[in-house]
Amino acid sequence: MSAITVRNLHKTFQAKHKAAGLQGSLRALWKPEWQMVEAVRDLSFDMEDGELLGFIGPNGAGKSTTIKILTGILHPTGGDVSVLGYVPWQQRRDLAYQIGSVFGQRPQLWYHLPAIDTFYLFGKIYELDDKTIRQRIGFLTEAFEIQDLLETPVRKLSLGQRMRCEVAASLLHKPRLILLDEPSIGLDVVAKQRIRDTIKRMNEVENVGVLLTSHDAGDIEALCKRVIIVNHGQIIYQDKVSALKRSYLTSKQVDVRYAQPLPDNFQVAGAEILKAGQYGIKLRFDTRITPVEAVLTQLATAGELVDVTISDPSLEEVIRTIYQQADASPARRAANGEVARERV
Amino acid sequence: MTSFQREFRFLLALWKANLLAAMEYRGAFLLQVVGMILNNAIYFVFWILFFQRFQQVRGWKLDDMLLLFSVVATGFGLATFFFGNAVSLCEVITEGRLDYYLSLPRPVLMHVLASGSVASGMGDFTYGLLSFVVAGHFGIDAIGRFLLGSFLAIIVFLAVLVIAHSTAFWLGNANVLAAQVTNAMITFALYPITLFDGTAKFLLFTLLPAAFVGAVPAEFVRAFSWRVLGQMLGATLIFLVLALVIFHRGLRHYESGSAIQTQV
Repeated sequence: MSAITVRNLHKTFQAKHKAAGLQGSLRALWKPEWQMVEAVRDLSFDMEDGELLGFIGPNGAGKSTTIKILTGILHPTGGDVSVLGYVPWQQRRDLAYQIGSVFGQRPQLWYHLPAIDTFYLFGKIYELDDKTIRQRIGFLTEAFEIQDLLETPVRKLSLGQRMRCEVAASLLHKPRLILLDEPSIGLDVVAKQRIRDTIKRMNEVENVGVLLTSHDAGDIEALCKRVIIVNHGQIIYQDKVSALKRSYLTSKQVDVRYAQPLPDNFQVAGAEILKAGQYGIKLRFDTRITPVEAVLTQLATAGELVDVTISDPSLEEVIRTIYQQADASPARRAANGEVARERV
Repeated sequence: MTSFQREFRFLLALWKANLLAAMEYRGAFLLQVVGMILNNAIYFVFWILFFQRFQQVRGWKLDDMLLLFSVVATGFGLATFFFGNAVSLCEVITEGRLDYYLSLPRPVLMHVLASGSVASGMGDFTYGLLSFVVAGHFGIDAIGRFLLGSFLAIIVFLAVLVIAHSTAFWLGNANVLAAQVTNAMITFALYPITLFDGTAKFLLFTLLPAAFVGAVPAEFVRAFSWRVLGQMLGATLIFLVLALVIFHRGLRHYESGSAIQTQV
């Protein structure tokens, strides 16, 4: 069953356009120029109940705008959306009982109060009786390992500790779906991993669906089974994370270290040398053109090998490649030239 | 449980959270309360000096001014103490902080207004009570009229602030406009209404309804009148409906934002 259905979603904002400096400001005062910014363009996708779906893209790609439409915060300019059977901007309150949301840049915990006080306030917001909220807090406290943090004012928690409490707060009312917008923003690697682990666990234990937006490919790789990549408000790729890797992991990188110095101008046929030193070399090659065996044979015959490392490109690089391909496409270039600008 | 009971229980929970947050900084809270009582008292000293010299101004005496100050200070004090975000609503709108309230299953306007508290409002309220006591209207019926008059003044105050601040949905930055409306409401509410004639008086009953948070409820507290009660109830209803309509119309224009935020 579909938890989320989105069809031909559009969202356009009107933004004032002003040239730099005082002259530009005076001109804008007299004759303001408005630019129509298409934050989301013709977006269509589905998400199944209990699915872990990644929604990634660079800054300004339209991720947060889409999440805000899905939670009923923003009204779309066009298109149809159904979240758990509700039209978000028309049935916002009914939907809010069924979903949870975490916005990395928009804390929901009261800054001057300990998290436990906000948890009890959320109990009232979601109309949970005292026994239920106590049980739920107990369960989530254990799941998120936040027993020692609950009674400390939020302003005194680290960012990672606060985010764990934030995600726990979003799950207090046992939502069927949580929408996480950049939950790992600003966190160090350890804190990121803890957040990822707890989200994954809650998905396994309670079958809560997770729609995760991030521009950190690591979040997607660690958590999601399926990924949607957006750029400039449009979907440029959607498939399983494993398929994404398979389709785009066509190059390999090899790091080699030798016992003796390499000859000057050492080359490997069919490979691009990224870095060359006296005792080592780093190169990359396309496996569809040059077989791995051919490259390794050439490297082995060049001298006595001390160490060899063969690696795939990171998911970050894969995604960067997809962005670059999408940006270079004729359709994209045409779209960039079609930005509507009108004088009001 | 009825819908009203549910929302009222939620309101109580929000006020409790505000109280807990205020208690985190007890010193600052008490300083603001005492500071506001002194501020109001010093301001009223000028009226005492004035009436020592002139006895009355267009029919208004010192006793009337005490009642006027009691109603305005009580109304404004309680409005800002229990619905503190009313004085910063336009910032909540322009900074995209409505996202938080829109993502939760509660009436947005009530939730956002009651999620903040202005500590000095408790000082205004205390001063309003003191002023009422000094005015000496101790009858049960006078106290009842004072409570009703102050309650309706709170609603009109909040409604006007919501209307002024909601212009941020269309104007983007409405800080200055909203601050001017707030100051004008308080300033004009604290003068005897008989000082104003013609257009000025008309404006104080319509566009800037300071009369309904000051002179009219003060007149009602002084002596019961069906006409005045009708005026107060009518004005409260009109401005309340206007505030709700304008705010919810504005919500459709809400554009959120990407500013980094804190839920205080």
